[in-house]
Amino acid sequence: MNQKTINKNKRIDRIVKAFLLGTAILSALFIVIIIFIVAIRGLKPFFGDYDGVTINFFKFITGRRYFAPEYRIGYIIINTLYVVFLSIIVSAPIAVLTALFIAKMAPKFLGNILSTVIEVLAAIPSIIYGVFGSGYVVVLVRNLAAKFGITTAGGLSTLSTVIVLSMMILPTITMLSITAIKSVPKDMEEGSLALGASKTQTMFSISINAAKPGIFAGIILGVGRALGEATAVTMVSGGRGSGPTFSLFDTTMTLTSTILTGIKETTEGLDYDIRFSIGLVLIVVILIVNFVLNSVKKRMGKYYG
Amino acid sequence: MDKNIRKRKVKDVILQTITYTASFISVVILGAILFFVFSRGTNLLTFKIIKDDFNPVVYNLKTTEIINNNFNDPLIENAYFSKNYGIAAIDDITKDGNKTIRFIYIDKDSPLLKTENQQGELIPFKENMIFDSTIRVINEDNTTTTIFSRNGASNMINILDQSIGIDSAIIKQEGGGIRGSIITTLYLVFITLLIGLPLGIFTALYLNQIAPQNKITNILRSFIDMLTGVPSIIYGLMGAALFIPLTTKLFGDSSMQRGSLIAGSLTLVVIILPVVIKATESALDVVPRSYRDASLALGANKTQTTFKVMLPNALPGILSAALLSIGRIIGESAALIYAMGTIIGDNVSLTGRSTSLAVHIWAVMSGEVPNVALASTIAIIILVVVLSLNLLIKLITYRFTKRYK
Repeated sequence: MNQKTINKNKRIDRIVKAFLLGTAILSALFIVIIIFIVAIRGLKPFFGDYDGVTINFFKFITGRRYFAPEYRIGYIIINTLYVVFLSIIVSAPIAVLTALFIAKMAPKFLGNILSTVIEVLAAIPSIIYGVFGSGYVVVLVRNLAAKFGITTAGGLSTLSTVIVLSMMILPTITMLSITAIKSVPKDMEEGSLALGASKTQTMFSISINAAKPGIFAGIILGVGRALGEATAVTMVSGGRGSGPTFSLFDTTMTLTSTILTGIKETTEGLDYDIRFSIGLVLIVVILIVNFVLNSVKKRMGKYYG
Repeated sequence: MDKNIRKRKVKDVILQTITYTASFISVVILGAILFFVFSRGTNLLTFKIIKDDFNPVVYNLKTTEIINNNFNDPLIENAYFSKNYGIAAIDDITKDGNKTIRFIYIDKDSPLLKTENQQGELIPFKENMIFDSTIRVINEDNTTTTIFSRNGASNMINILDQSIGIDSAIIKQEGGGIRGSIITTLYLVFITLLIGLPLGIFTALYLNQIAPQNKITNILRSFIDMLTGVPSIIYGLMGAALFIPLTTKLFGDSSMQRGSLIAGSLTLVVIILPVVIKATESALDVVPRSYRDASLALGANKTQTTFKVMLPNALPGILSAALLSIGRIIGESAALIYAMGTIIGDNVSLTGRSTSLAVHIWAVMSGEVPNVALASTIAIIILVVVLSLNLLIKLITYRFTKRYK
């Protein structure tokens, strides 16, 4: 190869490299753009002037009523965390047990079928969970409430929201738990068996404990998905103008459903911009919750490795 | 000792039963969803719903005189035939389940083929048009009689055959179809992949093949990873605040301020970006390193190696990245509600507003009276597409990874 070809090759490489670097930078830039643009628009209600109305940030973040022109979302934050907490309480045990069954107990054939079921559940778009929720779960909850002599808003309630959310995060937690349980070293379990523990005892006290960090990672992902889930939650939560409420049969309102509710009727002004403020709060809530859960995970310690 | 063992056995059985029950729950959930969607939606799932417009078109028609009053009856079962006008009609129900009268036959010489609307435009009767309000006819003695659709087709035909002309009539082209949303979804998939795939693949090529191991690369990587955790509603906010103004300026069309197909597409590009990058990178990882080394050793430059050796060999993985993205695009709702709006349109254009199938569901469910039947029908279509995509991805990935084992 002569020097000319080598030089030409080098030049082409340099150009292509610069081009590819450009695309990579553009891709990486989007997260910055998202945060930046939501922040700019979301901070506007606190500094801007909307026909003489400016939102007080402190009241916005702590208040207990949400209606025009006083938008206060303190109770919405609490209700969001409450709903997500309940969903995790419901779905995490089911998910871990399902993962345990698939990874340790089930015959291969059955395990494969169950894994596929979980994957299918994960692939179903949230709008379909929404249709199922508002067509079926809501009716179920309404009838259940009627048995206790409670009237609900047609079944739209905290309970419906928790049920739908639990279904949606179940596959997420299950899939990560399966990986975690499967990667527990065999010799740990064999050691337990050799010491005289039964198979079931080993699974519950050794496998699950050793897989704890992995399972917790699944729960963190599940929490993230639950916090950000919008369409399905909006379809079953019902919405409420003041709170917080902790009753299972009351209607509820989450950060995401607040952003989505009534979007049809507004395109500009305070009622539109405030949704960006709530979006900003949602981002911050997700970051804080993730940070807290991750530091808990770090403290959990390792069983092996 | 014996007692302890028995106690342990009981405990084991209890724990096992709980585990069996718990793992059964996911099957129950999937079964319930499928059963619900299919039992509610199959009734409506016809070819008609796929090809019909969503918005009904109402025609307010003017006077029509009879020219001939002895048309031949085509003798269609269950249909009533008017020999004055040469039309046949049946009692039928609309997609929403309301009673209506449907015209199923129109003679080629029928005077109703020359009807005009109030503005004088020619609006001929068509087969499958429906009548669910009123028609006023002129009798021989110049009085008028009003036909109400609720009295059924036979009543309508009787009165029509006693009349000498139609004074006015309100006729509809039935709506409730999802043609516009299907086309919009196809547009969205096409445009989003057209922009998103190259961007994602190039980024993956850089990160996987060219990037040096340094801090900047790590930062790029972690930024892209962060995109995965962003909720779709936040993407929607970004679409509304960034892409809507951007496209409005670009096309100079102020009607795009409330969202447009292209703004929705650009939002989706950002959503699928991490998916494409991840899938492409893992596909590139599967291609053996020796291929790359061999190519470089034979004198090919880095560019040639990347594009002519690595990329073609990773193609099946990239295909599954595309399929994964299609699934994501079809299922996406929250982001599109913000970037495209929720107005169901039948005339699809890049700069116009219409809805994808998922947002169509949202639109019919969030109205005053939620239309669960139509929502379920669309849900069936989405489910079938998304699940077959997933199956296809599994197949491709299985064969792809097997090839290099």
